[in-house]
Amino acid sequence: MSVRNALLGLLAQRPFYGYELLAALDGIVGGHNAWTVNSGQIYATLERLEKSGLIEEQPVNGTAPDKTTYTATAAGRQELTEWLSAPVQTDLQHDEFYIKLMLALSLEGSDPYRLIQIQRASLYQELHAVTTQRDDLEIPTNLAQKLLFDKAVMHLEADLRWLEMIEARLDDVKRQPVQQVEMRPRGRPPKSARGAKSPPQTDKP
Amino acid sequence: MNFQLTLALRYLNGRKLRALLTTLAIVFGVLVVFGMNTIIPAMMRSFQANVLAASGQVDATITLKTGDVFPVAELARVASVQGVRATTGLLDRTVNLQPNYFDHDLAALDSVSALSVVGLNPNEVRNVHSYNIIAGRFLEENDTNAAVISQSLADSIGLNLGSTLTLPTAIGEQSLKIVGILPARAVPGNEEVFVTLSQTQNMFGMPDKINTIEANYDSLDETRRAEIQSSIQSTLGSEYQIGALTSNSELLTSLQLGQAMFNVLGVMGLLMGGFIIFNTFRTVVAERRRDIGMLRALGASRKSIFYIILSEGLMQGIMGTALGMVVGYGFSVLVLKLMGPAMQKFLNVRMGMPEVSLPIVLVSVGLGVGITLLAGLIPAMSASRVTPLEALRPAVGKLNFRRLAGLGFWMGAAMIALAVSTLLTRDAGLIGMGGMLFIIGLILVAPALVSPIAALFGGLASLIFARQGTVHLAQGNLSRQPARAAVTASATMIGLAILVTAASIITSASVGFERVLRKSLGSDYLLIPPSVAVWGTNVGSNPDFARELRALDGVAVVSSLRFAPAQVNDLPISLMGIDPDTYGQVSGLTFAEGDEVAAYAALKTPHSIIISPVLATSIGAKVGDEVSMLTPNGVKAYNVIAIGGDYLNAKIATGYVSQADIAADFGRTEDVLLQLNLTPTTDRAAAESAIKAVVSRYPQYRLISGQGYIDENMQLFDVAFAAMYAVLIFLAVPSLIAMLNTLVIGVIERTREIGMLRAVGATRKQVRTMIVAEAIILAAIGTAFGLLAGLFLGYTTVETLHLSGFPMEYAFPASGVLVTIAAGLLFGILAAIIPARQAARQDVVQALHYE
Amino acid sequence: MSVISTENLTKIYNSGTTAVTALDHVNFQVQPEEFVAVMGPSGCGKSTLLHLIGGLDHPTEGQVHINGNLLTDLDDDSLTELRRRQIGFIFQFYNLIPVLSAVENAALPLLLDGMKPIEAHDRAIEWLSRFDLADRLQNRPDQLSGGQQQRVAIARALVAEPSLILADEPTGNLDTRASDEIAGLLRQVTKEWGRTVVMVTHDPRIAAYADRILFLKDGRIVDDTLLETKDGSSYDAVTAKLKEIGD
Repeated sequence: MSVRNALLGLLAQRPFYGYELLAALDGIVGGHNAWTVNSGQIYATLERLEKSGLIEEQPVNGTAPDKTTYTATAAGRQELTEWLSAPVQTDLQHDEFYIKLMLALSLEGSDPYRLIQIQRASLYQELHAVTTQRDDLEIPTNLAQKLLFDKAVMHLEADLRWLEMIEARLDDVKRQPVQQVEMRPRGRPPKSARGAKSPPQTDKP
Repeated sequence: MNFQLTLALRYLNGRKLRALLTTLAIVFGVLVVFGMNTIIPAMMRSFQANVLAASGQVDATITLKTGDVFPVAELARVASVQGVRATTGLLDRTVNLQPNYFDHDLAALDSVSALSVVGLNPNEVRNVHSYNIIAGRFLEENDTNAAVISQSLADSIGLNLGSTLTLPTAIGEQSLKIVGILPARAVPGNEEVFVTLSQTQNMFGMPDKINTIEANYDSLDETRRAEIQSSIQSTLGSEYQIGALTSNSELLTSLQLGQAMFNVLGVMGLLMGGFIIFNTFRTVVAERRRDIGMLRALGASRKSIFYIILSEGLMQGIMGTALGMVVGYGFSVLVLKLMGPAMQKFLNVRMGMPEVSLPIVLVSVGLGVGITLLAGLIPAMSASRVTPLEALRPAVGKLNFRRLAGLGFWMGAAMIALAVSTLLTRDAGLIGMGGMLFIIGLILVAPALVSPIAALFGGLASLIFARQGTVHLAQGNLSRQPARAAVTASATMIGLAILVTAASIITSASVGFERVLRKSLGSDYLLIPPSVAVWGTNVGSNPDFARELRALDGVAVVSSLRFAPAQVNDLPISLMGIDPDTYGQVSGLTFAEGDEVAAYAALKTPHSIIISPVLATSIGAKVGDEVSMLTPNGVKAYNVIAIGGDYLNAKIATGYVSQADIAADFGRTEDVLLQLNLTPTTDRAAAESAIKAVVSRYPQYRLISGQGYIDENMQLFDVAFAAMYAVLIFLAVPSLIAMLNTLVIGVIERTREIGMLRAVGATRKQVRTMIVAEAIILAAIGTAFGLLAGLFLGYTTVETLHLSGFPMEYAFPASGVLVTIAAGLLFGILAAIIPARQAARQDVVQALHYE
Repeated sequence: MSVISTENLTKIYNSGTTAVTALDHVNFQVQPEEFVAVMGPSGCGKSTLLHLIGGLDHPTEGQVHINGNLLTDLDDDSLTELRRRQIGFIFQFYNLIPVLSAVENAALPLLLDGMKPIEAHDRAIEWLSRFDLADRLQNRPDQLSGGQQQRVAIARALVAEPSLILADEPTGNLDTRASDEIAGLLRQVTKEWGRTVVMVTHDPRIAAYADRILFLKDGRIVDDTLLETKDGSSYDAVTAKLKEIGD
């Protein structure tokens, strides 16, 4: 996710003050707790955008001379259009828990089952939190935000199911040669898409 | 309770068709029990009214308990009793008339088939009765050949004042001049012909005899009247009774027998109903296991569940009983209405409305509701044992059933073995019980035998429905739930078993009776009175008639039967007087114990008696025993010399004594039936016309050749067969309902499965065929079991009857078996029609969602 | 006092020659107003646990206390009464009586307890109205949607004012939307009406509504997560306990 493109998108609509941008961004993603961006990040990004000539300072008429208002330039609009029309790439193979688990399998003194249980507990905590937040939303006014929560719920559910699957097949994975386990997570995704997309296969003879 | 009833009502309401079908069987049973028990008392009341009408206006009517005649001298003894104001003696004889007596046309039945000839003393009788003459005059002391009749009788036989009425009597046909007409008869009963006492005594060969004393008391005070009555009783002795006349009591006995038979039919119907309810409730409980488990989980106690199921039974019982009683009442009104004209015509009895008495209402309600409740008991108990877990895990509890079925199989097998072994005991009671045991055993064994039998019949059915590919499915459905299939099949089984049993009995009886018939009525000619069932109402002839017949050319031998009503060891019997010398030549008793020649010889010893097997069983007498016989001359001891009977008296308790004894002890010399043989060389035609000439003066007799009479009787048997089958098929109807019911339930339960079949490409026709095949296989199983049970039951029943003295021999009921097989399969197909349509019509998507 | 407390709760099923241990020395407590989800793979013993807590089945070993009553001490009639007054059940297939209306179904426990129908119906109507079924009172179950039927079932579970509600896969037969609705309702049952709910489910999104998740595997509690806390501390508590009982 890029804060950069989000700010560009907002500034393409109308001129914003810096702190206005922070509030607008919160409005889109559903406010507190959901996805926090601090003001420092906003100002740093605005600076970078201005340097690239994608936005420009807008002169203001008097009332608040200490505040800077920004608006998107033609180049900025051009880049925004390109961003909007390109698909969003997912990055599901880079899974930290997976790395942890594989390491725990081969490291002396670490218990992969314990890892799974901690992860599951954590996922349930998250799921519970997201569910609670989603339920707090007023559907008629916050439908858009609710959809974002639904995404989170679905992903968490998928992760939980994945954990269940790992737990069920962990013994099989343990029985496989260690090298194979070490090679795959480190290397770049192999060229054959099939091998890369799924978790390690348990090719039983 | 309130809540249980509501729930039960809702459940019933939810499955109206099923509730109706189930209840129908109870309706049927109650209908028969209630209907018959209101018809027959109504008929009996009419008959009794008939008898009572004759004596209604007097304070006391005194008769012998046997209904026999007694000396006129008794009248003086009654008159001497303190408090008796007036007495009169009557000789009242019913005269049965041949159906062509008045109009000489055999085909058209006469409007008058019997008359009461009342002999009275014209002076004495007016102290007791008053006679309101509308034309002519009343009888006078010295009248001869004079009679007074009612206007209604005069009209129906076309006579007027001054015309002549001829009547058959013991001394030949007599002509009576009508000297007076009474108002039309208003009360039910035979039309009366009033004649002077002396002439009546003469006409019926009963000099100085009367059979009724009428008396009026001098007090209206109830206590006093009771005192007078008891002093009359003590004066006369215990052979006499004060009250209603008992003539025709044999007829009442027959009616009671009929009532008893119909009651058995009704109770059988009810039992079938109970079985169907039991069957349905078992299914209901199985269907609702989850509901019941849920209720238990919610906190319903075992008792609540028990009462919910029982309430449902109770409601069906109440509804079925109420409906059965209403329909039964209608049925009995209809029957009485239909019978009314005939009864009016032939017996001069007006049929009233059905007689509803409190006891019969209570018994009907008790039976109807009781049997339903009883049938619901076991399913209700099994419902109360459903654990709450079954709401959550519906599969629990099926294993139990299988274990139970295994246990049942061995219990059933043991019962069958026990039942068969009772045959060896040759004890009527034990064999009868063995029959019941056999049926129960068969029901228990059935589940284990369903699969093999289904496979067998399935194979046959596949041949019929080749290329449909659904028969093996049907067969599989049955084998999968053998207990269910067995229950359905047992419903059919019971119905058909009854059919086969009855067929066995009828066939055996017919074979046995034919044998006895040929022996009893083997003479060349018979002279038959109008009624062979009710001897007391026949007018016989004095010995002159037999003498005249004997004198004819070509007549080799004439032998007669004489009749007297009697009581042996307090049991009313028909006493027949035979001539030990000649009876064996024209006819013969069939002996169960004792030798023919020796028995006739022994009969010549005074006070010897041959008793019929029925009588022997009833009083528990054996050869060599002494029995006490109530005669008009007091109690006499008779020696039992043999046990045997003839065809005409086969079903009645009968004793045979010599004609010498019956004359001495009963004063009877009247021949009621004669049989004669011709000499072998005689010209039959000439002899027959000579006999006819003599008989024409005794129109109470019908002349028929022995063979002709046998043929006539065998024809009667055929009619009886047909009627019996009709009744039995009627009885088997509930089993049709049971099968229909179970098939419908089976379809409901398999809704989802049928939907699946349709979804994978079974056509409607294939589904229909599957259900029909299932029904046919079920019916075949039921029929097979029914045949087995019926043949066994038939055999045991015949054996039991044989042992208790009925002249029957077991004969295989071939035609009955064919009828049964046809009926069984027909029922199977009929029962399948509705469910098959229902199954074929199901919407596939909905069926798949049916839970 | 805890609503539920188990001690070494064990259930062994004997099917033929093999004995299956459905529950193996399970110990846990449930506090008043807690919403507990029981999760785990099929055959882990979660339904058995619910049945034992509900007094529907008898443990092979160990004890269950419900509001201080030791269930193993009670005979069938007392158990029935306890179920009627202190426990409400919710089933996966709703298990409504098909021939009774919504009100009558909801009023069932009260009617079974011998309450006058009018009063029982009034109370049932009150609960049904809380669940937006005021306009469906006289409908038969087959005239209601799955979600509506399950709401009637929840009203039925609550009508006798039990302190404990046991739900066995209450959303197992419902679509996502109705599932969320029912799970939300169960949460409301604890938060707003102060009941304790124990719910068996295999659906994580439904479990996420609970305050606490018991995770069962092979008849043992392997995880007991309090969802308010965001650290993994509960895990250590559980593993410690498991070690204690001799794992």
